[in-house]
Amino acid sequence: MKHNLDKLSAIFNRYPQNRESLIAVLQDIQKEYHYLPEEALQATAKTLDVPLSKVFSVATFYNAFSHYPRGEKIIRICVGTTCHIRGAHLVQEQLENRLNIKAGSTTKDLKYTLETVNCVGACSQAPVVIVNNKYYGHVKVSDAKKLLRSK
Amino acid sequence: MVNLTINGRIVQAKEGEMLLTVLRREKIDVPALCHHEAVEPFGACRLCTVEITKEDWNGYSNYVTSCLYPVEEGLIVSTHSPKVNELRKTILDLFLARHPNSPEIRQLAADYGVFKTSYETVVDGNNCILCAICTRICDTMGFHAISTVGRGHGKEVAPPLHQVPPDCVGCLACALNCPTHYIEYTFDNNYLTIWDKKFELMVCSRCGKKTITKEFAEYLSKHRDIPFSYFEICDECHRKELAATMGQITSWEREA
Repeated sequence: MKHNLDKLSAIFNRYPQNRESLIAVLQDIQKEYHYLPEEALQATAKTLDVPLSKVFSVATFYNAFSHYPRGEKIIRICVGTTCHIRGAHLVQEQLENRLNIKAGSTTKDLKYTLETVNCVGACSQAPVVIVNNKYYGHVKVSDAKKLLRSK
Repeated sequence: MVNLTINGRIVQAKEGEMLLTVLRREKIDVPALCHHEAVEPFGACRLCTVEITKEDWNGYSNYVTSCLYPVEEGLIVSTHSPKVNELRKTILDLFLARHPNSPEIRQLAADYGVFKTSYETVVDGNNCILCAICTRICDTMGFHAISTVGRGHGKEVAPPLHQVPPDCVGCLACALNCPTHYIEYTFDNNYLTIWDKKFELMVCSRCGKKTITKEFAEYLSKHRDIPFSYFEICDECHRKELAATMGQITSWEREA
């Protein structure tokens, strides 16, 4: 996939161009593109003068970095113990069916990414679904449509 | 200089030296899989664990990885005490569970009396023990072609982006120093293939023997200031030539 990498130079210019800036730069790239495109990793290695293998090593170490394109809307279903007992898997099933993807993947039109998360510490609100960092508690299967439409 | 006692024997060592270095010098057989003189100590395999104590420790002792422990004055070291052997046995037991098919691991485990793991065997495992000798040596060589990728259960050694490594020159330092011979490479006529990258081998202009890869020769000549023509002749032919050169020098000296 081709990307408009114009924004990269702006990101690079925010930090001193050395290896200490690596994680900060990768975080900003992740924020901008919602994942780390290959070309961006290559450009980072070149600009910061860090071997590509090291950039890749760091980029794959942290879960905060994604290596595949992610959707505009990131839906995370909590499947921790409490949410599981209160039917998280049913909500998951419903969302998977509606989006026609499995948890852990992204729709072809790059609109939605569906993920599971093990616990978000909001067990009293179980089952919990998080849409773009907004928390929804006591979610019912019939709420799926509403969740997908939510901003 | 510091004085320490190893297995009841008084040994002298240089300040700042790591314990394992001293043990190896004293020809004491302590197993280690992640240790290599060319790279910094790493402490990954835990096999070089030894028991240490001091006179004023009131009988208490500690277990440390000798590769990462700098020598100290008055240190009392036991390399094969019952507890150390027990510890090493457990480590090898775990190694055996994860790499049941590695001949090197099996041999080492057998040396310590572990023939079958007491843990659940990893079925789809491989022989990579993640000691990172390969990646560290690659860094030392100056290529930085491979690195560890991911973490936890999924951690592995791989080229960047899981693609053919652009910085690899086929020096084979990773594969030849791998303690479990996990890194595969093949020689096929004039070609060497490693990390899915195919390299053309140099051919000795005298005897036709294959030597190092062209990329490696180019790197050495560029970064180590060795004329490229040096690599066009194999080591053996260089030595043969040396006799002729020395003869020439002797005759010049005689004339002068």
